Amino acid sequence: MDPKHIRNFSIIAHIDHGKSTLADRLLEITGTVDAREMSSHSQVLDSMDLEQEKGVTIKASAVQMHWVAADGEEYALNMIDTPGHVDFSYEVSRALAACEAAILVVDATQGIEAQTLANLYLALENDLEIVPVINKIDLATAQVDKVLLEVAELLGVPLDEVIPVSAKLGTNVEAVLQAIVTQAPPPAADVNAPLRAMIFDSHYDSYKGVVAYVRMREGWVSRKTTMLMMATGAKTEPIEVGIFTPEMLPVERLSAGEVGYIATGLKTVREARVGDTITDAHRPAAVPLAGYQPAKPMVFASLYPSEADDYVNLRDALDKLQLNDAALTFEPESSQALQFGFRCGFLGLFHMEIIQERLEREYDQNLIVTAPSVAYQILLRNGEELEIHRPADLPDPTIVEEVREPWMKVQIITPTDYIGAIMEILRRKRANFLLTETLDTRRVLMTFEVPLAEMVIDLHDRIKSATRGYASMDYAFDSYRPDDLVRVDVLVNKEPVDALAIIVHRDKAYARGSLLIRKMKEVIPRQLFEVPIQAVVGGKILARVNVQALRKDVLAKCYGGDVTRKRKLLEKQKAGKKRMKMLGNVIIPQEAFLAMLRLDED
Amino acid sequence: MKAALYVHVPFCLRRCTYCDFNTYAGLLELRAAYVAALERELAWWAAEQPELEATTLYFGGGTPSLLTPEQVQAVIAAVRRRFALPEGAEVTLEANPGTVTCSSLESLRRGGVNRLSLGVQSADAAELRLLGRIHTWEEVVAAARAARQAGFDNLSLDLIFGLPGQTLSRWEQTLARVLALEPEHLSLYALTLEPGTPLAERVARGELPEPVPDLAAEMYESASRRLLEAGFWQYEISNWARGAASAQLLWDLPPGGRSEGCGPWVSHHNLAYWRMEPWLGVGAGAYSYLPGSRWRNLPHPADYIAALQAGRSCRVDVEPISHTLALGETMMMGLRLAEGVTDARFRARFGAGLETVYGEVLARFAALGLLEWDGRRVRLTARGRLLGNQVFGAFLL
Repeated sequence: MDPKHIRNFSIIAHIDHGKSTLADRLLEITGTVDAREMSSHSQVLDSMDLEQEKGVTIKASAVQMHWVAADGEEYALNMIDTPGHVDFSYEVSRALAACEAAILVVDATQGIEAQTLANLYLALENDLEIVPVINKIDLATAQVDKVLLEVAELLGVPLDEVIPVSAKLGTNVEAVLQAIVTQAPPPAADVNAPLRAMIFDSHYDSYKGVVAYVRMREGWVSRKTTMLMMATGAKTEPIEVGIFTPEMLPVERLSAGEVGYIATGLKTVREARVGDTITDAHRPAAVPLAGYQPAKPMVFASLYPSEADDYVNLRDALDKLQLNDAALTFEPESSQALQFGFRCGFLGLFHMEIIQERLEREYDQNLIVTAPSVAYQILLRNGEELEIHRPADLPDPTIVEEVREPWMKVQIITPTDYIGAIMEILRRKRANFLLTETLDTRRVLMTFEVPLAEMVIDLHDRIKSATRGYASMDYAFDSYRPDDLVRVDVLVNKEPVDALAIIVHRDKAYARGSLLIRKMKEVIPRQLFEVPIQAVVGGKILARVNVQALRKDVLAKCYGGDVTRKRKLLEKQKAGKKRMKMLGNVIIPQEAFLAMLRLDED
Repeated sequence: MKAALYVHVPFCLRRCTYCDFNTYAGLLELRAAYVAALERELAWWAAEQPELEATTLYFGGGTPSLLTPEQVQAVIAAVRRRFALPEGAEVTLEANPGTVTCSSLESLRRGGVNRLSLGVQSADAAELRLLGRIHTWEEVVAAARAARQAGFDNLSLDLIFGLPGQTLSRWEQTLARVLALEPEHLSLYALTLEPGTPLAERVARGELPEPVPDLAAEMYESASRRLLEAGFWQYEISNWARGAASAQLLWDLPPGGRSEGCGPWVSHHNLAYWRMEPWLGVGAGAYSYLPGSRWRNLPHPADYIAALQAGRSCRVDVEPISHTLALGETMMMGLRLAEGVTDARFRARFGAGLETVYGEVLARFAALGLLEWDGRRVRLTARGRLLGNQVFGAFLL
């Protein structure tokens, strides 16, 4: 197809501003999906149950639509959906890199939010043409004029370039399509140059292997092409090339400028990673497309099966999830307390939550998930550097020169009433306050730097509850920075419990350590002997509590008539114990491992 | 086959607030029909098991003292006739102090009851009210005197401790008052709040304080010391007797105490349960255990009477007791006793030694200081007596 008649675009928005509804309407108006199908299947692009439920898009998708514009010409409009959460910002950036334009959707009842800005900046970094849209103008609470002005000011465009729509009712949606055709440039495309196609997403198909979603930059690809993945070095011949209509429709070839898929036959998404460049092995491009970086997990947590027998099932389930999720990492781990499980790496807390839910829901796994921690960089005295993914791996302090932790830049948009509350929450999180910018008479944009380790505990929930849901938040990785970080070990009955260790700032070691052991005391049942629980830093005991020995547990009365009943009572008691973990002689319930998640310091 | 014989009397004037036994208030008019049904059931068993010999007889309840002495006597006579209950065998009757008189006690004694078990529960008026007892402490004292006058030389008293709000000193006072009555036998029960009882519900609603287990443990230990001084020997987790059949039955010997010459005041009937020897229970809701199975009778007295009148079986909930189950139950019951479980008796019953079946468990709990195991006998230690559930469960295979 002549690139002049191609437009590639994304839709970007803050969560719940109506991105998926707008996408549905575009599909409907262009006849890509008919209205009947649409009504039975709201939000076509969000195909996973979880996406529909959480109202966010987890996997990007791409659909080709055909539409006759005002000039009477037919255009191929490739709509590339982007994940809606900051944990997937790398995937978002690759999806945006596959486009020339982005529709920026802003809710007329809410105005600009933190992710509106974050996504806009990402789009601008990728030199995209922005088509601003105000959605939900049909709602009684819509402040159309005010938000129009806000958006026009933000982008520095005249008011009439901002398109007011109601995606729900379909009002004025055609104007959006027309704006895409008129404002977005056609893709630059050199069909004769050596093949360069960027993978912006992928999924695993049990018949076709990894299906790479590609934006064709140069050259062309057909089933005959021997492909080379420039970053991973994997070579393969396509099983099929095609476009999404949204069903997969095979085509003879895909050429520069187009968006489509290549069924690679590869067995894991790790061999065809998002951001990688596909070229022709027989006529390779000199350099890959810019911007590739393997997804790097920064939040780690351990997953253990509640029943040891389920270990193999859990591994199989993780294997299957990984087929579709190159960002998920896992390696076998054993802990004295929880026995056999996996240390898993996630892009962020949200990613972790999604994986946990999918394991429980789709794979029927009963999980114990330990409190999340982050990836620390360690510089040893001998100059060696290493990265650790669990607190227990922090080497002996005597050989450690420096411990660095990831810091995030956090942006919060909030009504002015809550500035004080937010400052207070962030202060407790060791945050650096950078600046406050006034957005309008009511709202400000606050920027902070916060250690990720402090964020993973409960920052988002706290902000939401302190501002009654009015504040929105976005964050991005900033840098690794050294700090005075120490490992607090928890000793149960004098034995360190690896899964309970935490890394904290030295100033907070006492407070966190003593809080942690107090929480532990609440959940550990009394045992046959006194169980000391200690919080220790570098061999020095910070705090200690004792779970007193159980004194009395006996049935006072037991005569002939009671034998069966009493026996059943004892059997039940015994079965209850089986569900707890033995640590040496100490029985620890699973809740103990989650105590860290509830370290409320107030 | 020899078996202990239990007769259940499911009638009460009023249900106590803590009680979840199979007992009914307001059904006294069924008594005559009930006694007739008991006689029918005894006759049926005599035909079914002609070889069965009763070793002891026990009237439990409910409130057996709500039967007339003549009714009790009729049942005793039936047992003697049909099950060869030996002359001088232990015949116990549970009595509520509020339901006995000098003359009724004399009649009972003459009728063959030789052991009287009085439900006292407390010597404190407020506590008796809390428990919903129908009698006062003064009535307890009077009943005990009357029992002596009637010729009862084997008197047992039941007490409950660990009540909501009960203090250690109040409990010690109850115990002192009860000891002054010079019983031969004492049963001290830590209160269990049984779900659904009025007392448990009042605690759940927050009207009464939750009993504190550690305080109950102190009360238990204090009572153990006091009873030892008073010449009582503990032979089961909740039972003490002023003398014991043999030194092997005992956890502790009182200072200067000798086992010889002491009257055999232990409850021989209850020993059969703890030793997992066969017992036959008759009456509504009574449980029986004969080798290989356990069952229960229809719980409601009206159903029970109807079944026997119609010649139908009144047995329900028959549970086969497998070899494995019997092993566990033998330990669970036997470890309640001071004599514990002997390897010899265990071998004789199950054909394998304790070490073979329970080696690991025995070692583990011995190391924890809850069991005493010398290769010939296993029993709970003083600490183990308060933590029995932690031990018993491990023996259930």
